[in-house]
Amino acid sequence: MVDKARIEVTVGPDGVVSAKTHGLLGDTCLDYIAVLEDLLEARTATSEYTDDYTRTRERVPLAQEVRHVDGK
Amino acid sequence: MSVSLILLPLAISAVVAAHASRTAKDETGRLVCHVQTRMRNPGLLADALRDTGAEVTAQDDTLVANWEGVRATFQRNDDDVWTAHLEGSVDDRRAVEIVAGVDAAYGRQVQSAVLDRLREHAPAAGLRLESESVGADASVSLVFAVEGRE
Repeated sequence: MVDKARIEVTVGPDGVVSAKTHGLLGDTCLDYIAVLEDLLEARTATSEYTDDYTRTRERVPLAQEVRHVDGK
Repeated sequence: MSVSLILLPLAISAVVAAHASRTAKDETGRLVCHVQTRMRNPGLLADALRDTGAEVTAQDDTLVANWEGVRATFQRNDDDVWTAHLEGSVDDRRAVEIVAGVDAAYGRQVQSAVLDRLREHAPAAGLRLESESVGADASVSLVFAVEGRE
């Protein structure tokens, strides 16, 4: 089951912002880095992939293999 | 794929914390302390200074704040970051304490400005606000559902 796509943004009392994407598949989450920078008038200081990254990388080759077999 | 980010609003420089960069004496022998800040936005800085009880006057690229016995002159450096020059009843330590207090007020001003901007512009970026909560440390978390962009 695919999680609903969400973005959680936390703004600290020091003005520093942290953001985390959930349930965004493929490279879509990377698109939202630019969206957030624009939205917040901010620049990214650090970024890292979360556990979903590993999950997605495991799923992608499987999905591609199934599609290839169906196409025969 | 999901990603976790730390973002710095443009109103904040990457300087970690206020620190005394130089101490000198003026022509009358009074100590003048220079303190580097992380603050960039003059409007938010003026509001933050007022939050600390200062009387603030602005002229060109200079902000002057007066507290009882202490006067701070803020000027922009080449990186558009404001440096404070404090004179009066201050030494290095007191100067950094005062600027740290202003910095804390500035952080709250930035937080408020960022939250206002998020609430106003998120819908146009295809983000629908689902929930909002305040943490014990006064941080504010907003959860957005990702929908189509306009």
